[in-house]
Amino acid sequence: MIARIFASDGQYGPSLRHAAAVVAFVGPFLLLLMTFQYIPVLTMLRDSLYSYTLLNPDRRFFVGFENYITLFTDPDRRQSFAVTFGFATVVVAIIVPLAFLLAVYLNGRLPARALVRTIIFLPVVTSAVVIATMWTFLLDPGNGLVNAMLRAVGLARLEFLTSKSQALPSIVLLVVWQQLGFATVLFLSGLQAIPREVEDVARVDGASPAQIVWYVTLPLLARTTLFVVVIMTVFCLQVFAPALIMTGGGPEGTTNFIAYDIYQQAFSFQQPGLASAISVVFMLIVMLISVVQMRLLRTRWNY
Amino acid sequence: MRPSASSLLFATALVLGCASAQAQSSRSAPTADCPKGVVTLSLLKPLNNPPFPNMLASWQAANPCIKIDVSELPFGQLADKISVLAAAGTPPDIVVYDGPNTQTYAAAGMLLPLDSYLPPGFKDDVVPATLTEHSYQGKLYSPGTQQTTLAMFYNADMLEPLGIKPPTELGRAWTWAEAMDAFRKCQKEVNGDVTVWGLAPSRFGAGTPGFVYRDLIFLRTHGDPNAPKDSSAYKTYFAISPDGKTADGWLNTPEAIAGATFFRDMFNVAKITPKAGIPTSFQDGKACFTLDTSYFIAGLIRANVPFKWGVTPMPHVKTPIVHTGSLTFGVMAKSKFTEEAVKFVIDVSTGANAVAYANEQRILPVLKSVAPQMPELKNYPLSIFQEELNAWGHPRPPSPNFAQYDKVVSDALRDIAYGADPKTRLDQAVRTLQPILARQ
Repeated sequence: MIARIFASDGQYGPSLRHAAAVVAFVGPFLLLLMTFQYIPVLTMLRDSLYSYTLLNPDRRFFVGFENYITLFTDPDRRQSFAVTFGFATVVVAIIVPLAFLLAVYLNGRLPARALVRTIIFLPVVTSAVVIATMWTFLLDPGNGLVNAMLRAVGLARLEFLTSKSQALPSIVLLVVWQQLGFATVLFLSGLQAIPREVEDVARVDGASPAQIVWYVTLPLLARTTLFVVVIMTVFCLQVFAPALIMTGGGPEGTTNFIAYDIYQQAFSFQQPGLASAISVVFMLIVMLISVVQMRLLRTRWNY
Repeated sequence: MRPSASSLLFATALVLGCASAQAQSSRSAPTADCPKGVVTLSLLKPLNNPPFPNMLASWQAANPCIKIDVSELPFGQLADKISVLAAAGTPPDIVVYDGPNTQTYAAAGMLLPLDSYLPPGFKDDVVPATLTEHSYQGKLYSPGTQQTTLAMFYNADMLEPLGIKPPTELGRAWTWAEAMDAFRKCQKEVNGDVTVWGLAPSRFGAGTPGFVYRDLIFLRTHGDPNAPKDSSAYKTYFAISPDGKTADGWLNTPEAIAGATFFRDMFNVAKITPKAGIPTSFQDGKACFTLDTSYFIAGLIRANVPFKWGVTPMPHVKTPIVHTGSLTFGVMAKSKFTEEAVKFVIDVSTGANAVAYANEQRILPVLKSVAPQMPELKNYPLSIFQEELNAWGHPRPPSPNFAQYDKVVSDALRDIAYGADPKTRLDQAVRTLQPILARQ
């Protein structure tokens, strides 16, 4: 490298100018990345080995892997992991096929297509706090609009967020509604990038519309599908606002998502060491899931 | 993907930390009127709570060389904000916080002890409940601003046709069984939908049931402070060990479970109160009764509600009890302007300011010397709160980890109100709490 930077006569050559350009362009982002990503991760790794409170962070005790042992033996923490990954699995399983079908529909010749796309995309650009507050009112067991509609058609009221069995499905519904537009737009852009000639050839060869979708469109959308699955999984694993605003992690921990649990442990329960340990384990699991998803959905076709 | 959880703590601290930067204390250059310069003190307080603008304006008029820069936030976010500011090393000079957290903040070295600044004989003038709540290891950390207790407000227009006349003397206070009977008679339904609830939903905390200040009473009233000290009845009344480090055997006693079962059945069996609802149900004429503090009197008068209302003492089972404690002022130990911050806190909490505030807001004063200057304390309905404070008042379970106790128990009681098994849920709360309470 050094040899390439210096020209044979010992003067700075074009390689050095190139290196300087690289540093100038990449440096600031690398600095930001270090400051806001890698240094906090290293700090978190260190903190996960200590017991202390945020009220008096200077008074800390080294506890080794005690926070990790607590994490793996505490049923509440295990429930939090199960709730979060179960939630992500269900939401992704609903959103991906639904968004694909919606994208296929929107890809056709539809009047007012732009308007429909805007309507579908609107929840995505609305603040998560606004959405959570709005759905809290909608799902209120006594005065909510949804229950008013159920009563109007002669059905019994539902408890929604105050019920152990209905709180999580209610939040699944909210997140599907909120994120469907984003996944649809991603699929739509993927559909529009597929060369029309490929589908035309299949049509000339006698393929039915369903066969075209199954044998042509879907394989060529593999990259988009991978992106949608990874993005939606990541989003679901990050879910926080509904627990904070709508349920407080309850009833009985059924909506205690990991991100909310980390917040609770750190700030409400004053156990930032345990919160850091949860974050470390969570980070490793999410990385593993992403690698597995990328392997399983690895694309075999290019166009 | 990777930034999600890992940087959450950092991001939250960053956001809250940045918010704190809005209020930084400082000293300006000397002027003719202020030879030491104008000191700006930062003050953090919950929304809609003291110090109110008129209090600040009158104090600043008398102290032109000190300015108060106020930051406000919802009460529910106050404790988290204080902990983040403490961790960031940028606390405000003055903080308005929930009194039972005094031990927590004092143990962490966050609060400045005020003993050496208070006038002679001050401690003798403070009501005992306040002195207990605001002291830690023999030192006083806040002079106290007000006391509160709960009582039961009722809609007299709804009760009179039913022949229900709630008592107004503590000696004739209802039991919870009698109160339930009144709730049932007063509740109205149309086609299975409740139009008027017996008891209004909670206005406290996040607006969900379970808030310790209001709902732990349902458990503690099953206890008995006069029972033998090793009995479960005695422990139920106190709900935490005397050193504040043990909840097991104090919070999950058979009596506490009986209280929690009664509490759950109010929502799920008798169904006389909703699990969620509009916080203004009582003012809107959608509930016959509500549990609230003396603050609510001023609120009802201000709202000019179109019905006659009254106040009856808090119902009980075995032992009458109401929680005490309220918001109070503290000076942060890291303040660079201790002298000015202490002056503000003591000025607004004592003397003519304390009398004016008590009369204006109809609160229960913490200073015995203020009480005689507040004639309304002897008159119904404020007299009920004052009598309850003296006869039944008891602090929320004191502990250097009260904030965590408050959160865990509030969550447990909320879940019980939603239908969780009382014993299982209280045992779970104890399991969560025990390592937190026991830590150094």
